[in-house]
Amino acid sequence: MGRESSERPTYTILAIITLKKERILGGSQLALWAENEEQQKTMTQDIAKAMKADVVKMKNGDYLIIRV
Amino acid sequence: MKENIISTDHLIIIVTATIVGTMARALTIKEDFRQYPTYPNGYLIHLVTGFVAASLGAVAIPALMTKNFVAVTFLALAIQQFRDVRKAEKESLKDLENTESAYRGDAYIDGIAKTFEARNYFALIVSFTTALTIQLVDSKFISINVMSGTITGLIVLYVIKRFSKGKTLGDIADVKEGKIEVRESELFVDGIFVSNLLGTENAANMFQKEGLAVVIIPREEHFRIALDHYGQRQAALFEATRAVGVKRYHFTRKEYEKGKIVITLVPIIKDVNKLIEAVKKTPVLESVKKSHSVMDTNLFGRE
Repeated sequence: MGRESSERPTYTILAIITLKKERILGGSQLALWAENEEQQKTMTQDIAKAMKADVVKMKNGDYLIIRV
Repeated sequence: MKENIISTDHLIIIVTATIVGTMARALTIKEDFRQYPTYPNGYLIHLVTGFVAASLGAVAIPALMTKNFVAVTFLALAIQQFRDVRKAEKESLKDLENTESAYRGDAYIDGIAKTFEARNYFALIVSFTTALTIQLVDSKFISINVMSGTITGLIVLYVIKRFSKGKTLGDIADVKEGKIEVRESELFVDGIFVSNLLGTENAANMFQKEGLAVVIIPREEHFRIALDHYGQRQAALFEATRAVGVKRYHFTRKEYEKGKIVITLVPIIKDVNKLIEAVKKTPVLESVKKSHSVMDTNLFGRE
Protein backbone atom coordinates (compact mmCIF):
# COMPACT_ATOMS: atom_id res chain seq x y z
CA MET A 1 0.00 0.00 0.00
CA GLY A 2 2.88 2.34 0.75
CA ARG A 3 4.07 2.12 -2.82
CA GLU A 4 0.60 2.43 -4.20
CA SER A 5 -0.18 5.52 -2.21
CA SER A 6 2.73 7.33 -3.83
CA GLU A 7 1.39 6.58 -7.30
CA ARG A 8 -1.14 8.70 -9.09
CA PRO A 9 -3.97 9.44 -8.51
CA THR A 10 -3.47 11.73 -5.55
CA TYR A 11 -6.49 12.81 -3.62
CA THR A 12 -7.21 16.28 -2.28
CA ILE A 13 -9.66 16.82 0.54
CA LEU A 14 -11.87 19.66 -0.56
CA ALA A 15 -14.30 19.84 2.32
CA ILE A 16 -15.48 18.20 5.51
CA ILE A 17 -19.11 18.50 6.57
CA THR A 18 -19.74 17.61 10.16
CA LEU A 19 -22.56 17.67 12.67
CA LYS A 20 -20.26 18.43 15.58
CA LYS A 21 -18.68 21.85 15.84
CA GLU A 22 -15.78 20.59 17.97
CA ARG A 23 -14.54 18.43 15.10
CA ILE A 24 -13.73 21.52 13.05
CA LEU A 25 -10.09 21.93 13.89
CA GLY A 26 -8.77 23.79 10.84
CA GLY A 27 -6.67 22.80 7.87
CA SER A 28 -6.61 23.82 4.26
CA GLN A 29 -9.94 22.21 3.38
CA LEU A 30 -13.32 23.85 3.76
CA ALA A 31 -14.92 22.78 7.04
CA LEU A 32 -18.65 23.21 7.41
CA TRP A 33 -21.03 22.54 10.22
CA ALA A 34 -24.52 21.25 9.44
CA GLU A 35 -27.43 21.47 11.85
CA ASN A 36 -28.93 18.09 11.02
CA GLU A 37 -28.34 15.02 8.86
CA GLU A 38 -30.65 16.17 6.10
CA GLN A 39 -28.84 19.48 5.79
CA GLN A 40 -25.52 17.69 5.96
CA LYS A 41 -26.45 15.43 3.02
CA THR A 42 -27.72 18.33 0.93
CA MET A 43 -24.62 20.42 1.58
CA THR A 44 -22.38 17.51 0.74
CA GLN A 45 -24.18 16.74 -2.51
CA ASP A 46 -24.25 20.37 -3.61
CA ILE A 47 -20.53 20.84 -3.09
CA ALA A 48 -19.64 17.46 -4.61
CA LYS A 49 -21.72 18.19 -7.70
CA ALA A 50 -20.26 21.65 -8.14
CA MET A 51 -16.70 20.45 -7.69
CA LYS A 52 -17.21 17.17 -9.59
CA ALA A 53 -15.81 15.41 -6.57
CA ASP A 54 -16.31 12.14 -4.69
CA VAL A 55 -17.84 11.71 -1.28
CA VAL A 56 -16.72 9.53 1.61
CA LYS A 57 -19.11 8.93 4.46
CA MET A 58 -17.05 8.35 7.54
CA LYS A 59 -18.15 5.97 10.27
CA ASN A 60 -18.51 8.88 12.70
CA GLY A 61 -21.13 10.48 10.46
CA ASP A 62 -18.97 13.18 8.90
CA TYR A 63 -18.74 13.57 5.14
CA LEU A 64 -15.50 14.15 3.28
CA ILE A 65 -15.51 15.61 -0.20
CA ILE A 66 -12.41 14.56 -2.06
CA ARG A 67 -11.15 14.96 -5.55
CA VAL A 68 -8.73 12.92 -7.58
CA MET B 1 28.36 8.11 -66.57
CA LYS B 2 26.68 4.70 -66.61
CA GLU B 3 29.12 3.12 -64.11
CA ASN B 4 27.97 5.67 -61.55
CA ILE B 5 24.41 4.37 -61.80
CA ILE B 6 23.35 1.54 -59.54
CA SER B 7 23.32 -1.89 -61.25
CA THR B 8 20.05 -3.67 -62.04
CA ASP B 9 20.94 -6.53 -59.67
CA HIS B 10 21.43 -4.17 -56.79
CA LEU B 11 18.31 -2.25 -57.68
CA ILE B 12 16.29 -5.48 -57.54
CA ILE B 13 17.80 -6.32 -54.15
CA ILE B 14 17.07 -2.88 -52.73
CA VAL B 15 13.54 -2.59 -54.09
CA THR B 16 12.48 -6.14 -53.12
CA ALA B 17 13.99 -5.91 -49.64
CA THR B 18 12.46 -2.49 -49.02
CA ILE B 19 9.01 -3.67 -50.09
CA VAL B 20 9.18 -6.85 -48.00
CA GLY B 21 10.52 -4.91 -44.99
CA THR B 22 7.80 -2.27 -45.23
CA MET B 23 5.23 -5.03 -45.64
CA ALA B 24 6.57 -6.61 -42.44
CA ARG B 25 5.92 -3.33 -40.61
CA ALA B 26 2.48 -3.00 -42.17
CA LEU B 27 1.55 -6.52 -41.08
CA THR B 28 2.61 -5.80 -37.51
CA ILE B 29 0.49 -2.65 -37.16
CA LYS B 30 -2.33 -3.97 -35.12
CA GLU B 31 -5.80 -2.67 -35.06
CA ASP B 32 -7.23 -4.81 -32.36
CA PHE B 33 -9.59 -4.45 -29.44
CA ARG B 34 -7.16 -1.97 -27.92
CA GLN B 35 -7.73 0.36 -30.85
CA TYR B 36 -4.20 1.64 -30.98
CA PRO B 37 -3.03 3.03 -33.35
CA THR B 38 -6.35 3.36 -35.08
CA TYR B 39 -6.08 6.70 -36.68
CA PRO B 40 -4.89 7.31 -40.25
CA ASN B 41 -2.10 9.58 -39.04
CA GLY B 42 -0.87 6.90 -36.65
CA TYR B 43 -0.78 4.40 -39.51
CA LEU B 44 1.06 6.78 -41.78
CA ILE B 45 3.71 7.66 -39.20
CA HIS B 46 4.47 4.03 -38.45
CA LEU B 47 4.40 2.96 -42.10
CA VAL B 48 6.83 5.71 -43.06
CA THR B 49 9.26 4.93 -40.22
CA GLY B 50 8.91 1.26 -41.18
CA PHE B 51 9.75 2.14 -44.76
CA VAL B 52 12.86 4.06 -43.63
CA ALA B 53 13.91 1.11 -41.45
CA ALA B 54 13.37 -1.31 -44.33
CA SER B 55 15.38 0.90 -46.70
CA LEU B 56 18.29 0.98 -44.28
CA GLY B 57 18.27 -2.81 -44.03
CA ALA B 58 17.92 -3.17 -47.80
CA VAL B 59 20.92 -1.06 -48.79
CA ALA B 60 23.34 -2.71 -46.35
CA ILE B 61 24.11 -5.71 -48.60
CA PRO B 62 24.62 -3.72 -51.84
CA ALA B 63 26.83 -1.33 -49.84
CA LEU B 64 28.97 -4.24 -48.66
CA MET B 65 29.10 -5.77 -52.14
CA THR B 66 30.48 -2.56 -53.57
CA LYS B 67 33.13 -2.53 -50.80
CA ASN B 68 31.53 0.53 -49.33
CA PHE B 69 32.19 -0.61 -45.76
CA VAL B 70 31.87 2.85 -44.26
CA ALA B 71 28.33 3.11 -45.56
CA VAL B 72 27.27 0.22 -43.33
CA THR B 73 27.81 2.47 -40.31
CA PHE B 74 24.48 4.08 -41.16
CA LEU B 75 22.96 1.14 -39.35
CA ALA B 76 24.03 3.02 -36.23
CA LEU B 77 21.86 5.82 -37.52
CA ALA B 78 18.99 3.37 -37.76
CA ILE B 79 19.37 2.47 -34.10
CA GLN B 80 19.24 6.14 -33.20
CA GLN B 81 16.18 6.61 -35.36
CA PHE B 82 14.37 3.70 -33.69
CA ARG B 83 15.21 5.04 -30.27
CA ASP B 84 13.67 8.31 -31.34
CA VAL B 85 10.55 6.42 -32.39
CA ARG B 86 10.34 4.96 -28.89
CA LYS B 87 10.90 8.38 -27.33
CA ALA B 88 8.29 10.05 -29.53
CA GLU B 89 5.78 7.30 -28.76
CA LYS B 90 6.40 7.63 -25.05
CA GLU B 91 6.02 11.41 -25.07
CA SER B 92 2.87 11.20 -27.13
CA LEU B 93 1.23 8.67 -24.80
CA LYS B 94 2.30 10.60 -21.70
CA ASP B 95 0.76 13.75 -23.15
CA LEU B 96 -2.52 11.89 -23.48
CA GLU B 97 -2.55 10.62 -19.90
CA ASN B 98 -4.71 13.39 -18.51
CA THR B 99 -7.33 13.01 -21.19
CA GLU B 100 -8.01 9.28 -20.73
CA SER B 101 -10.66 7.77 -18.46
CA ALA B 102 -7.93 6.00 -16.51
CA TYR B 103 -4.15 6.37 -16.55
CA ARG B 104 -2.19 3.97 -18.69
CA GLY B 105 0.63 4.24 -16.19
CA ASP B 106 4.35 4.60 -16.84
CA ALA B 107 5.02 0.85 -17.00
CA TYR B 108 2.41 0.30 -19.72
CA ILE B 109 3.55 3.32 -21.72
CA ASP B 110 7.13 2.06 -21.56
CA GLY B 111 6.00 -1.35 -22.82
CA ILE B 112 4.02 0.12 -25.73
CA ALA B 113 6.90 2.41 -26.72
CA LYS B 114 9.35 -0.51 -26.65
CA THR B 115 7.03 -2.54 -28.86
CA PHE B 116 6.95 0.24 -31.43
CA GLU B 117 10.74 0.42 -31.38
CA ALA B 118 11.01 -3.35 -31.73
CA ARG B 119 8.67 -3.42 -34.72
CA ASN B 120 10.98 -1.11 -36.61
CA TYR B 121 13.74 -3.64 -36.00
CA PHE B 122 11.38 -6.20 -37.57
CA ALA B 123 11.36 -4.13 -40.76
CA LEU B 124 15.14 -3.75 -40.68
CA ILE B 125 15.89 -7.43 -40.02
CA VAL B 126 13.33 -8.67 -42.56
CA SER B 127 14.61 -6.38 -45.31
CA PHE B 128 18.23 -7.24 -44.47
CA THR B 129 17.62 -11.00 -44.64
CA THR B 130 15.61 -10.57 -47.84
CA ALA B 131 18.51 -8.69 -49.43
CA LEU B 132 21.02 -11.23 -48.13
CA THR B 133 19.01 -14.16 -49.54
CA ILE B 134 18.71 -12.56 -52.96
CA GLN B 135 22.46 -11.95 -52.95
CA LEU B 136 23.24 -15.53 -51.87
CA VAL B 137 20.82 -17.19 -54.31
CA ASP B 138 22.10 -15.00 -57.14
CA SER B 139 20.12 -16.85 -59.82
CA LYS B 140 20.07 -15.61 -63.38
CA PHE B 141 16.27 -15.55 -63.18
CA ILE B 142 15.08 -12.41 -61.44
CA SER B 143 11.81 -14.05 -60.39
CA ILE B 144 13.65 -16.82 -58.50
CA ASN B 145 15.76 -14.21 -56.69
CA VAL B 146 12.74 -12.15 -55.74
CA MET B 147 10.67 -15.18 -54.68
CA SER B 148 13.41 -16.69 -52.53
CA GLY B 149 14.10 -13.32 -50.89
CA THR B 150 10.42 -12.70 -50.17
CA ILE B 151 9.84 -16.19 -48.75
CA THR B 152 12.89 -15.92 -46.47
CA GLY B 153 11.76 -12.47 -45.36
CA LEU B 154 8.30 -13.76 -44.47
CA ILE B 155 9.74 -16.75 -42.58
CA VAL B 156 12.03 -14.42 -40.61
CA LEU B 157 9.06 -12.16 -39.87
CA TYR B 158 7.04 -15.12 -38.58
CA VAL B 159 9.94 -16.27 -36.35
CA ILE B 160 10.69 -12.86 -34.80
CA LYS B 161 7.00 -12.10 -34.41
CA ARG B 162 6.61 -15.28 -32.41
CA PHE B 163 9.78 -14.52 -30.47
CA SER B 164 8.59 -11.07 -29.44
CA LYS B 165 5.03 -12.10 -28.67
CA GLY B 166 4.29 -11.55 -25.02
CA LYS B 167 1.82 -13.17 -22.70
CA THR B 168 -1.53 -11.74 -21.70
CA LEU B 169 -3.30 -11.74 -18.34
CA GLY B 170 -5.58 -14.49 -19.67
CA ASP B 171 -2.53 -16.77 -19.93
CA ILE B 172 -1.55 -16.44 -16.31
CA ALA B 173 -4.85 -15.86 -14.56
CA ASP B 174 -8.55 -16.62 -14.64
CA VAL B 175 -10.86 -13.67 -15.05
CA LYS B 176 -14.38 -14.01 -13.69
CA GLU B 177 -17.31 -11.73 -13.12
CA GLY B 178 -17.44 -10.39 -9.57
CA LYS B 179 -20.53 -9.82 -7.45
CA ILE B 180 -20.98 -6.19 -6.48
CA GLU B 181 -22.27 -5.37 -3.05
CA VAL B 182 -22.68 -1.93 -1.53
CA ARG B 183 -22.82 -1.88 2.26
CA GLU B 184 -23.72 1.64 3.40
CA SER B 185 -21.07 3.67 1.60
CA GLU B 186 -18.57 0.86 1.14
CA LEU B 187 -18.11 -1.13 -2.02
CA PHE B 188 -17.34 -4.84 -1.91
CA VAL B 189 -16.74 -7.24 -4.80
CA ASP B 190 -17.01 -10.93 -3.96
CA GLY B 191 -16.63 -9.92 -0.32
CA ILE B 192 -13.39 -8.01 -0.98
CA PHE B 193 -13.39 -4.41 0.21
CA VAL B 194 -12.75 -2.09 -2.72
CA SER B 195 -13.57 1.50 -1.79
CA ASN B 196 -15.52 3.73 0.53
CA LEU B 197 -15.91 6.50 -2.02
CA LEU B 198 -19.64 5.84 -2.41
CA GLY B 199 -20.60 8.35 0.25
CA THR B 200 -23.84 9.53 -1.31
CA GLU B 201 -26.99 7.52 -1.91
CA ASN B 202 -26.81 8.34 -5.60
CA ALA B 203 -23.35 6.83 -5.85
CA ALA B 204 -24.32 3.70 -3.95
CA ASN B 205 -27.45 3.17 -6.05
CA MET B 206 -25.64 3.81 -9.29
CA PHE B 207 -22.93 1.28 -8.47
CA GLN B 208 -25.41 -1.31 -7.27
CA LYS B 209 -27.55 -0.98 -10.40
CA GLU B 210 -25.05 -0.30 -13.13
CA GLY B 211 -21.66 -1.36 -11.81
CA LEU B 212 -19.59 -4.14 -13.36
CA ALA B 213 -16.77 -6.01 -11.70
CA VAL B 214 -14.25 -8.66 -12.60
CA VAL B 215 -11.96 -10.64 -10.35
CA ILE B 216 -8.56 -11.78 -11.59
CA ILE B 217 -7.42 -14.99 -9.93
CA PRO B 218 -3.78 -16.05 -10.48
CA ARG B 219 -3.36 -19.65 -11.75
CA GLU B 220 -0.05 -20.18 -9.94
CA GLU B 221 1.29 -18.75 -6.74
CA HIS B 222 4.24 -17.03 -8.47
CA PHE B 223 1.96 -15.21 -10.92
CA ARG B 224 0.79 -13.18 -7.95
CA ILE B 225 4.00 -11.15 -8.17
CA ALA B 226 3.17 -9.98 -11.67
CA LEU B 227 -0.48 -9.34 -10.89
CA ASP B 228 0.37 -7.46 -7.73
CA HIS B 229 2.48 -4.95 -9.66
CA TYR B 230 0.79 -1.56 -9.59
CA GLY B 231 1.66 -0.84 -13.23
CA GLN B 232 0.16 -4.15 -14.32
CA ARG B 233 -3.10 -3.49 -12.50
CA GLN B 234 -3.20 0.02 -13.88
CA ALA B 235 -2.78 -1.40 -17.40
CA ALA B 236 -5.65 -3.84 -16.84
CA LEU B 237 -7.86 -1.07 -15.49
CA PHE B 238 -6.99 1.12 -18.47
CA GLU B 239 -7.92 -1.62 -20.93
CA ALA B 240 -11.15 -2.25 -19.04
CA THR B 241 -12.15 1.42 -19.18
CA ARG B 242 -11.18 1.55 -22.85
CA ALA B 243 -13.37 -1.44 -23.72
CA VAL B 244 -16.63 -0.54 -21.99
CA GLY B 245 -16.18 3.17 -21.23
CA VAL B 246 -16.62 4.84 -17.87
CA LYS B 247 -19.77 6.57 -16.76
CA ARG B 248 -18.44 7.16 -13.26
CA TYR B 249 -15.94 5.60 -10.87
CA HIS B 250 -13.31 2.99 -11.58
CA PHE B 251 -11.37 1.10 -8.97
CA THR B 252 -8.79 -1.62 -8.69
CA ARG B 253 -7.99 -3.44 -5.49
CA LYS B 254 -5.82 -6.37 -4.50
CA GLU B 255 -6.58 -9.00 -1.96
CA TYR B 256 -3.64 -10.50 -0.13
CA GLU B 257 -4.91 -13.88 1.00
CA LYS B 258 -5.24 -15.50 -2.43
CA GLY B 259 -3.74 -12.72 -4.53
CA LYS B 260 -7.00 -11.85 -6.26
CA ILE B 261 -7.27 -8.54 -8.09
CA VAL B 262 -10.55 -6.69 -8.41
CA ILE B 263 -11.37 -4.32 -11.24
CA THR B 264 -14.66 -2.54 -11.02
CA LEU B 265 -16.34 0.43 -12.65
CA VAL B 266 -19.62 1.94 -13.74
CA PRO B 267 -19.44 1.45 -17.50
CA ILE B 268 -21.15 3.19 -20.39
CA ILE B 269 -21.78 -0.13 -22.14
CA LYS B 270 -22.90 -2.75 -19.66
CA ASP B 271 -21.30 -5.80 -21.22
CA VAL B 272 -19.48 -8.00 -18.77
CA ASN B 273 -18.15 -10.35 -21.45
CA LYS B 274 -16.48 -7.47 -23.21
CA LEU B 275 -14.95 -6.37 -19.92
CA ILE B 276 -13.65 -9.88 -19.16
CA GLU B 277 -12.22 -10.16 -22.66
CA ALA B 278 -10.45 -6.79 -22.38
CA VAL B 279 -8.88 -7.71 -19.04
CA LYS B 280 -7.85 -11.14 -20.34
CA LYS B 281 -6.16 -9.59 -23.34
CA THR B 282 -4.20 -7.02 -21.36
CA PRO B 283 -0.54 -7.76 -22.02
CA VAL B 284 1.69 -8.89 -19.18
CA LEU B 285 4.12 -5.99 -19.06
CA GLU B 286 7.76 -6.69 -19.84
CA SER B 287 8.92 -4.72 -16.85
CA VAL B 288 6.78 -6.91 -14.61
CA LYS B 289 7.71 -10.31 -16.00
CA LYS B 290 9.92 -12.55 -13.93
CA SER B 291 11.11 -15.90 -15.16
CA HIS B 292 10.03 -18.36 -12.53
CA SER B 293 12.37 -21.10 -13.78
CA VAL B 294 15.38 -18.77 -13.68
CA MET B 295 14.59 -17.91 -10.07
CA ASP B 296 14.79 -21.61 -9.26
CA THR B 297 18.17 -22.32 -10.83
CA ASN B 298 21.13 -23.03 -8.64
CA LEU B 299 24.07 -22.65 -10.99
CA PHE B 300 26.28 -20.22 -9.16
CA GLY B 301 26.40 -18.24 -5.99
CA ARG B 302 24.86 -20.72 -3.60
CA GLU B 303 26.36 -23.69 -1.83
